[in-house]
Amino acid sequence: MLVTILDVLLAGLLLGGIYALIAMGLSLQYGVARVFNVAHGEFIMIGAMVTWTFYTIVGINPLLSAVISGPVIFVIGFFLYHTLFRYLRTKSITHAAFESNSMLAAFGLLFIIQNIALIIPRWGSEIRGYTYLASPVNIGGAIFAANRLVTLLVAVVIGLAFYLFLMRTRMGKAIRAAAQDAITARLMGININLVLALCFGLGALMAGLAGVLISMCYPIHATMGLEYTIIAIIVIVLGGLGNIPGSFLGGFILGLVGSVVTYFEPGLALVAYYLIFMLLLILRPAGIIGK
Amino acid sequence: MKKFTIPLVILLICSLLVIGCTTKTTTPATSTSGTASPTSVKTKDKILIGMSRSLSGPLAQIGDSAFRPIYETLIPEWNAGGGIYVAEYGKKLPIELKIYDDKSDTGTMVKNLEKLILDDKVDFIFPPVGTAMIFAAAPIANKYNKLLLTAEGGATQLKDALPGMPYVFINLSFSDWYEVPVLGQLLQSKGAKTAYVIYIEDLHGIEYSGVAGRELPKYGVEILKAKSVPPDIKDLSTILKDAQASGADAFLAFAYPDQVMLATKQAMELGYNPKAFLGGPGVNFGFYHTTFKDAVNGVLGWTVASPKQSPELKAMFDKLYAGKPEELQDYWGHPCYYAAMEVFKQAVEKAGTLDNTKIRDVIATSHFQTVLGDVYYTGQLLDKESHPGEVGQWQNGVYEVVGGKKPTAEFIYPKPAWPK
Repeated sequence: MLVTILDVLLAGLLLGGIYALIAMGLSLQYGVARVFNVAHGEFIMIGAMVTWTFYTIVGINPLLSAVISGPVIFVIGFFLYHTLFRYLRTKSITHAAFESNSMLAAFGLLFIIQNIALIIPRWGSEIRGYTYLASPVNIGGAIFAANRLVTLLVAVVIGLAFYLFLMRTRMGKAIRAAAQDAITARLMGININLVLALCFGLGALMAGLAGVLISMCYPIHATMGLEYTIIAIIVIVLGGLGNIPGSFLGGFILGLVGSVVTYFEPGLALVAYYLIFMLLLILRPAGIIGK
Repeated sequence: MKKFTIPLVILLICSLLVIGCTTKTTTPATSTSGTASPTSVKTKDKILIGMSRSLSGPLAQIGDSAFRPIYETLIPEWNAGGGIYVAEYGKKLPIELKIYDDKSDTGTMVKNLEKLILDDKVDFIFPPVGTAMIFAAAPIANKYNKLLLTAEGGATQLKDALPGMPYVFINLSFSDWYEVPVLGQLLQSKGAKTAYVIYIEDLHGIEYSGVAGRELPKYGVEILKAKSVPPDIKDLSTILKDAQASGADAFLAFAYPDQVMLATKQAMELGYNPKAFLGGPGVNFGFYHTTFKDAVNGVLGWTVASPKQSPELKAMFDKLYAGKPEELQDYWGHPCYYAAMEVFKQAVEKAGTLDNTKIRDVIATSHFQTVLGDVYYTGQLLDKESHPGEVGQWQNGVYEVVGGKKPTAEFIYPKPAWPK
């Protein structure tokens, strides 16, 4: 019985690590840059498919490929904000108008990225996967693949590193200021365009890194993005919009809830996610640790 | 208002681009531009076939690898030979395909089909992607008296509705149409007594688990547990551990490639080695083998044919797969769709007309010589005697037929353990 409980809890934490990483990225993009990026999952897909390509065709280690694909995805995100979303922001009269315009643009981005992925040779629409660090590891009787433990470790390290970046650096402080009030932050001398583009780029980077980790553990394909975007949306509502530590914690909570429900009735896992989503919106719209 | 103008214009342009990119017309090299009504005898110079296919969206994953390679191979081949001979016109008519993307949306598919039939005045319609789409397309085929030879999808529920839909002919094999009973025979022959079932919570999974619950006990195989899984499940480890703890002889995953690949990967990682491991659809695709290589030795899936069963089948598989990546291979669907296309051509030639009703009668009552051998329809279903195989098993990189009419290899039981 104890082993079963450990099994379920660990499975939840392992899944939660990935959810946390995905949600932190979207939280940055929506909470700070104010772009409700429904194409967030497409950056996860790019990270996953690039890693698969590097590993199966070129033979590059998945974790090493993150070092190559991560900066590229960051630059793509950074320039997307600097061009498309910055333009929309300057042309939108109100914040609300910008949020709706940017969401529409993100929808377009979703279809464009997804369709490009579908026509890339070898990516196509088939399901892909590879085996890496698949050996079983025994933790107190609960058995898990080594790759999933690596995934959790990497997610936690990235989450903590980013938290320290936010709390201990000048740029981190600028990001927090921009998240609270972009106009006042700008009046205080913060280069707001740079900060917001940086947030969008960092959000894309986290999605890309999550994609790398997902490709190590789960089957992947060119149209996988949207399902992860939906999970990220649920998690950022759980953690509080724009609350980075909340998103990190929310990812783990959702992973645990999913794992427990799956143990009893797998078909109800998604129902549980949406139930949490609805209850939070009704009872605590600021999220579990929001003010 | 101005603030919305630019995004709306961009959205409009993107929409037009998407529509432009995904509406595809394949014109035969030999066709000439028609200036008169397509129904005019004197000017009939081509057969126009319309399709609503899921070229984008979630179903594109299935459609692109299933029926698409078949029509993209056969139509140019037929056109290179002049097309299909239609006695009514006294000549061979080349085929022109008109394809609209339904973006995996049933409502769009319905609109596309009606547009093809009413506005584009196609002579025939070819099938959309998947069981749910067939359910929606069948009444339209009936309403306009258009023949519908299906490709991807098929279900027992549809079987019950077929008497009221005389223009629909199902070509893919499915659960109680031999597959699960043959699996039961195989398991019984090796002394398997118990099974643990997971099934995708949709029409497909419910059907297969229901049929398994009914059929497998007839062969002495008791189902210890049947668990439904949602399509987007990310972690099967707790379920696999439960299956392992149950000690079931067979693990049966009646799910789609996403879940079958996940189950395989996590079963390997957890060292869960049931004596029989079946996953379908998924195991029958080349990409399943390219992903896991020979680690999947002994894994079972559904099938219909193998190149080893006849020179005709070998020639077909060579034509479809030679020089192409292994991941594009499909041993379950491709032979069925290919045979269905041959049935279509032969039926048109035999009827000597493009009249769908007459061709429908020919299909319902005739035998056809296809790549599968002699085939015919029983109750509008490609008869189960037409399938040379039902259950496949990966054996040293080859997807062998181990259950069905013409096995190509002995069923390996217990399955070899996953490699360390």
